[in-house]
Amino acid sequence: MVAWIGSRTVPLPTAIEQAAKLLAKSRCPVFSLDSDIHGCRSLIALAEQVGATYDHVNGRDLVHQVALHTDIGGFFATATEVQRRADVIVVVGDVPAVHHDLLLSLAATTPDLPRSGKRRWFHIRGKATLALSGKLQRRAKAVDAGSSDLPIDAVLGVLRASLAARKASVVLDNIDAFLGTVANADFPVFVFSHFGDAASLTMLQGMLIDINKKRRATALFLPSDDDAWGMVLTSTWMTGFPPRTGFSTGSPVYDPWLCDVDRMIAGEEADLHLWVSERDEVDPPRRSGLPTIVLTRSDRPVAGAAVTVRIGKAGLDHDGVVYSSRIGTLRSAVAKAPSDLPSVYVIVEQLQHALQGEDVASC
Amino acid sequence: MLIRLAGGEVIDPVNGLAGKRDVWIKGGIIVEKPVSKRADKTYDLSGCFVMAGAIDIHSHIGGGNVNTARLLLPEQHAAHLKRPQHTPLSNAGWSTFRTGCLYAQMGFTTVVEPAMSPSNALHTHMELADIPIIDKATLTILGNDDFLLSMIRDNASSAMIDDYVAWTVSRSRALGVKVINAGASAAFKENIRTFSFDDVVPSYGVSSRRIVEVLQASVGRLGIPHPLHVHANNLGIAGNAATAAETIGASNGRPLHLAHLQFYGYGTEGRRGFSSEAARLAELVNGNPDVTIDVGQVMFGQTVTISADVIRQYSGMRTASPKKSVLFDGDGNGGGIVPYRYRQDYYGSLQWAVGLELFLLIDDPWRVFFTTDHPNGAPFTAYPELFELLMRRDARNAKMAELDQSALELTTLASISREYTLDEVAVMTRGAPAKLLGLDDRGHLGPGAIADIAVYRKGQDIQKMFRDAALVFKNGDLVVRDGVVTHYRWGRALRLNPPSDKGIVKRMQAYHEDRYGLSLDWFTFPDSAISRENPFAEVACRS
Repeated sequence: MVAWIGSRTVPLPTAIEQAAKLLAKSRCPVFSLDSDIHGCRSLIALAEQVGATYDHVNGRDLVHQVALHTDIGGFFATATEVQRRADVIVVVGDVPAVHHDLLLSLAATTPDLPRSGKRRWFHIRGKATLALSGKLQRRAKAVDAGSSDLPIDAVLGVLRASLAARKASVVLDNIDAFLGTVANADFPVFVFSHFGDAASLTMLQGMLIDINKKRRATALFLPSDDDAWGMVLTSTWMTGFPPRTGFSTGSPVYDPWLCDVDRMIAGEEADLHLWVSERDEVDPPRRSGLPTIVLTRSDRPVAGAAVTVRIGKAGLDHDGVVYSSRIGTLRSAVAKAPSDLPSVYVIVEQLQHALQGEDVASC
Repeated sequence: MLIRLAGGEVIDPVNGLAGKRDVWIKGGIIVEKPVSKRADKTYDLSGCFVMAGAIDIHSHIGGGNVNTARLLLPEQHAAHLKRPQHTPLSNAGWSTFRTGCLYAQMGFTTVVEPAMSPSNALHTHMELADIPIIDKATLTILGNDDFLLSMIRDNASSAMIDDYVAWTVSRSRALGVKVINAGASAAFKENIRTFSFDDVVPSYGVSSRRIVEVLQASVGRLGIPHPLHVHANNLGIAGNAATAAETIGASNGRPLHLAHLQFYGYGTEGRRGFSSEAARLAELVNGNPDVTIDVGQVMFGQTVTISADVIRQYSGMRTASPKKSVLFDGDGNGGGIVPYRYRQDYYGSLQWAVGLELFLLIDDPWRVFFTTDHPNGAPFTAYPELFELLMRRDARNAKMAELDQSALELTTLASISREYTLDEVAVMTRGAPAKLLGLDDRGHLGPGAIADIAVYRKGQDIQKMFRDAALVFKNGDLVVRDGVVTHYRWGRALRLNPPSDKGIVKRMQAYHEDRYGLSLDWFTFPDSAISRENPFAEVACRS
């Protein structure tokens, strides 16, 4: 039992046929994606075929992370290189819990390149920054540097000024220890994840530019979600652009405002929503009046969805390829509990086949 | 199906074929003219040249650094459109999809990505698998990685070195080995800012020269057809012709390929201390028959430089245009992405002239290869313009009149009258690359070759001729007609599989578990991970 039209259980081919009809009829379809690399490859190809606009399911979280790369650039490193070489690790702001195992593995090791040595930790905090988790803090013994009164971008601004020996009117906690340690470090690495603002990213990378004029330093970027970052990479090589991208003109168009799927739905521009997620216990937001096709792990039809298809998860039900922050690149994910549940890739392949017999509407 | 390409003027220097003759295709292979059999399909190629599909040996078309460049520069796409821009509504210039189409439209059927980090092999091959039509291949990067540098420092045996090189080539599915500024990326992580051929990586005590020698010897012993592909030290620096000369001298009578030599063709003469040494380098190449080079021609306009030469890319960040860049400290080499606009000023004019001097002063078209080091010197879409510059002296002169004359005075370009013939173009872009890479099945039109064929309509407009091939066949499938892709197919990635001692797997397993706390599975992948039918085609090593 893997497919439903409305709440009615149907054979998978029937659901595929119905979904293909909806896609073919749609003049402005939008896709929200969350899958492994193969799933994203197939969905982006489908988006091109039907002239859809696509974004990640959690696209809002990705905007600043993508903008860091499209607008600023900067210094980066892989976690594997950081593990072997970083003599100072500076955690900047909050790092999602999903990366805490990675941080713990860094805390459990010491650098061996270019020679064996110790590793010191700092945590740069602003007024809304959470403390490091108890286990990580016990292992890392990170020294807090920052201020509980200032936002993180302001803290970074003060640190940057101080590193450049400029006067700052604000005194940060443990700033002398931080400045002294970084000044004498061989390979300090600033670990950061998704800031909610461009100013923090700009200030952090500006600080790295300053340090690198005389010494080495770099940053370990940990995306808010590895699968989402895998989708960014896939979109970029397939279309030349990160999400938010759409094929409404036939060619890919990248425009973070124009192709904001949530905006398109709220503004009633979209007339069909394809929502895909391999995660457990996650359902699409319910929107009345908008036909929705859902590919989900759920074993029941999604309320309000025109079509629901149950899918497997890459690395669990079937083999896949995923982005991993642990190694900073893609890795092969072998099925841990192989099942008959179809992959996103397989479902989309069937959709594409079914669409060959349909007359696809253009935007 | 039996296909007859009738009446075209064949240019096939490998087989010594020239003049009007038919080419026959069956089952994706070029065959002898069949006796008493009629073609199922005949193409009248009167008024056309017929060549083997072209092969690009050095073009950065996929992988982590290339994708980072795409991510950094969504506005870059206009530079990758055809010239002139007659498709103003198209804004997707350098996706994997467009890469395959644009290459095929020009008659290129095989392209080598020359800088794959072994740790990034899966990502690279996933991208290459999404490039349609053409076959691809990669060169895997060694020479800044801890495992190799440690072995050299510890005087590991040749057999141990060979096992590691073979294992890396095999598990990364590469067609050869590249070394990029040997040792410099490792040294840069220790805050070394300049690194020459005899400089030593501090914590390993091994010199750049030693790394190159070790890898060159290993590639030879393993029978890897393509000689060690060397991106030398001091790229882009005034006076670096001396470094190139040193590197050529270190070839010691063994095959060595020097990448994008144009970027090493600089002297220190003139008011700005930046002059051409191309004539000197060409003479050195002419006198060293074991050395091959590709040019890395500069063409004017916006591009982005993508290189695993991190020390060089760091110094280039100050001239980034637009003002943004990425510097990546990865395992081994890492990479740097720096956008750049080549202007028709003194420096741009000199670089442009140096590339052309190398093309025109190196006598043997079997040893000089046609590249812009895409996208470092220019996007590959500039190739038609470059063909014209090589084949027409008047086109060169017209362009020179637009450029900085004080720069051109420090070159020999004005005095060179040579014009490439179509036969020489066929050698440089077909026969020679196939020979250099060990690809016996392509680069020519003899029976038994795969039917990768480019047909060009004769005309005075060389740019148009090479930009829009009249017909292109890939493995016998017609894929392009009149410069437009008519059929999509998936090519394969060509790879070697040199044997190595089984013990190397255990050693690598222990190394990764000890140093990274991760099993080797994290760094390897099965062919099925690419999710395409037969994504790889194996090329034999020489015995």
